[in-house]
Amino acid sequence: MSSVKTVLASIRIGWYRDFGWTNPLTGFLMKTIAPVASVLSASIVYWLGSSAAGSFDPSHVSYIIVGAALYTHVAGYSWVPSQAISEGKWSYVFPQVFISPKSSTPFLVGRCLASFVTSALTSLISLAFAYYVAAAIFKSSIPFIVTPLSMSLLLGALLANVPATLGLGILLAAYTIFASKFEWALPTYVAGLLMVFSEALFPVSVLPWPLSAFGNVLPFTQFIRAAREAVVYGSVSAYSYYVGYSLLGGLLFLGVSLWAYRWAERQGRKKGIIDRKVV
Amino acid sequence: MLSHEPEVRVEVQNLRREFDSKERKVVALNGVSLKVREGEIFGVLGPNGAGKTTLIRILSTLLLPTSGVARVMGFDVASEPEKVRAVINMASGAERAGYDYISARGNLWFFSQLYGLPSEVAKARIKALSQLLGLDDYLDRKFYMLSTGYRQRVTIARAFINDPKIVFLDEPTIGLDVMTAMSIREFLIKEARENGRTIFLATHNMAEVDAICNRVAIIDRGRILTSDTPTNLKRSLGAPALVMEVSPLPVNLAFLGAVEGVKGFTTSVDEERGLARVQVVVESEECVRRALAGVAASGMRLVSSWRQQTTLEEVFVSLVGRGFVEREHEVGE
Amino acid sequence: MESRLWLRALYARMWVRVMSVFNEPLWIAVNIGFPFFSSVGLGLLYASTGLRSFVGFAILGGIMISFWGNVLWSMASQFYWDKQVGLFEIYLTSPAPMTAILIGMSLGGVVNTAPSAVLVAVAGWLFFAPPLSPSWLAVVLTLALTLASLYAMGMMLSSLYLAYGREAESINEALHEPVSLISGVYFPSIGNFSPFPFSVQVFASLIPLTIGMDALRRALFFSQGLSSIYLHLIVLSIMGGALLLLSSKTMKLLEEKGRREGTISVRLR
Repeated sequence: MSSVKTVLASIRIGWYRDFGWTNPLTGFLMKTIAPVASVLSASIVYWLGSSAAGSFDPSHVSYIIVGAALYTHVAGYSWVPSQAISEGKWSYVFPQVFISPKSSTPFLVGRCLASFVTSALTSLISLAFAYYVAAAIFKSSIPFIVTPLSMSLLLGALLANVPATLGLGILLAAYTIFASKFEWALPTYVAGLLMVFSEALFPVSVLPWPLSAFGNVLPFTQFIRAAREAVVYGSVSAYSYYVGYSLLGGLLFLGVSLWAYRWAERQGRKKGIIDRKVV
Repeated sequence: MLSHEPEVRVEVQNLRREFDSKERKVVALNGVSLKVREGEIFGVLGPNGAGKTTLIRILSTLLLPTSGVARVMGFDVASEPEKVRAVINMASGAERAGYDYISARGNLWFFSQLYGLPSEVAKARIKALSQLLGLDDYLDRKFYMLSTGYRQRVTIARAFINDPKIVFLDEPTIGLDVMTAMSIREFLIKEARENGRTIFLATHNMAEVDAICNRVAIIDRGRILTSDTPTNLKRSLGAPALVMEVSPLPVNLAFLGAVEGVKGFTTSVDEERGLARVQVVVESEECVRRALAGVAASGMRLVSSWRQQTTLEEVFVSLVGRGFVEREHEVGE
Repeated sequence: MESRLWLRALYARMWVRVMSVFNEPLWIAVNIGFPFFSSVGLGLLYASTGLRSFVGFAILGGIMISFWGNVLWSMASQFYWDKQVGLFEIYLTSPAPMTAILIGMSLGGVVNTAPSAVLVAVAGWLFFAPPLSPSWLAVVLTLALTLASLYAMGMMLSSLYLAYGREAESINEALHEPVSLISGVYFPSIGNFSPFPFSVQVFASLIPLTIGMDALRRALFFSQGLSSIYLHLIVLSIMGGALLLLSSKTMKLLEEKGRREGTISVRLR
């Protein structure tokens, strides 16, 4: 029960951290601009390349819009636990959370979930916005299924992906306990790796083995495939397979991450680095 | 030691600074006037929020006054900031600014270049300052690897790197261990005495002012209440202070303010022993008897009492009626 | 005396920047992350369309995005970080001209980012071997002018960012991608191949990166020499000079405003 309270309190802190500097609308718009631009960039690259090569396929634009919006969604909130630790070391919040009973993990989970909500909303806006802008500037009809069922399935995929992203976040947090510098560069690496390995912009089969195999087993890849089935291809059976894989794989990953985080905490105490500031 | 009449280096006349906040206008400085001469360590003593930092920010060209005049080496801080900047330096105890991945030596060299010092001159000054401040063995460590105390020594060295005529220091020893604070104070005394530097020190550390300042101005709510040497200020109180320990807690000592001859008092609570220590500034011996009788009549138990040599805190109490802590509490409200 | 102070301040600020990286080579790995992966990702996307000849656009984008990231995070918001740790008031209370400090920061930033940019170029060339058809003189001149005007924009932004507080970080996060998008870091955003309407292209042309990227692509992939891109170079030169002047004026104005309002040395935590 106390863990649930910590998670809820931490969600509030997370929202305050993200939007406390301005009014919620401005804060939300600022958070939305970057993913929208990112999705449009990828779509335009495809449009330009395929138009020049004479291979333009509107359904592939949908493929890219969904992939780009959702990899930025995962990248956008997976690093928040790590950020909470490094910022918390600076402000001494993290050592205080750490010494309170059983609070460190729920604190990180809460911060991550706060960002999940923001990130999910900005991704959905990116999807819608990119769809309309792409249709206008490419002068094509971009296939996109917008029905109550497809939207529910998309929402289901987003929720099923939470354990995997939380797992990634907790794993990065475990690393940040040891990090003494440059931990703030993690998000760029996470975003970059997800862009290449999670089938965000192109099939992972394009990558050489074993990189393609690595991309294939990632729950994030299955999540993006599930989302495409929901709003582009419309196959419920394929969707169920991918979303199940994403959820189960994510839970497994989360379990491993939690174990790694506990280990990092113990090592952190041994080495006396729980309250060491990152540079 | 100086062989000539010391020149006036800082001159402030009727300085006022207001800040606009959402609710009201805050007057941080209200008609401050003072003069500081060559070779002086001049302390500005007051509780938090008294206006010390605002005064230093105006004198070091970071802030414009609302009205009044402030001159440093004869240059107007408002209209001639470039000329002022060439002859001053400043440091604050609240920050230990430096580039993390550069050594202490590299940082000091960098700061020296902001004053256009030729590299050989800069290196010689770094060597001399680091010897005086006990930094020699730490000069080649990266800044982020230094302890708080050594970072502050670097900060102090930086404030003297350009051979400034005047150095403004805002709480330079805050948060430091006793030994580091002491060595910094010794360094400041040496710089003023041997090099004729003017050191303008803002602090709420009374012992520090007592130990190193030639003159001190006591400031409260943006006004300078008095200014003299620490010895003269303490002597001006006449009788030694009365200290009483009374119990039980909480104590109500409001009646003391009405006792004839009591100029003011300040209270600190010793929770472990369950009593309050009251320092009373008194005019005469007769007044001591009246204060003690007042405590007995109030029903409180007088655990012990004694007389002690007056400190600068008692000077402040005699001027304001309350101590630093009570004043900060009032300002906070 | 004045010019000596100017040069010493400039050199010292550049030295600090360069030595920070030299003393901590991990910086290069830190800087390379996003540019490397985005150029690989978008390079593979270009390749997947069947048009390998455009893969070079993605590599060039990765190189230039390194500099744009540096301008945003280490130029535009630098005074915001400096204000937080107390360095900014040290600059202000010294006689060193702020323009010299800003130019030193810029030159240091270019030198610091160069290793990451070169690594992206080498890795991109090794992975994709994109077809090049360069006019080297034009490439070098364009690159130099693009960086000059881009960092002049950084100087301008760093002055403007003095007016911001905690929101500086969010503004940076919000600016990075949209500017990359409309300035056409990974694809032509102005001219015949642009996907954008004319009005957006005009707006995009106000950003030096847009003009620079267009000229670089022409010089590097379509063998257009100085005679073809001279207009780009003139515009870049004018932009660089104007932004430099403007940043100096803005800095003075904001310094005066900060001194008047008492916000110049307010630290945020």
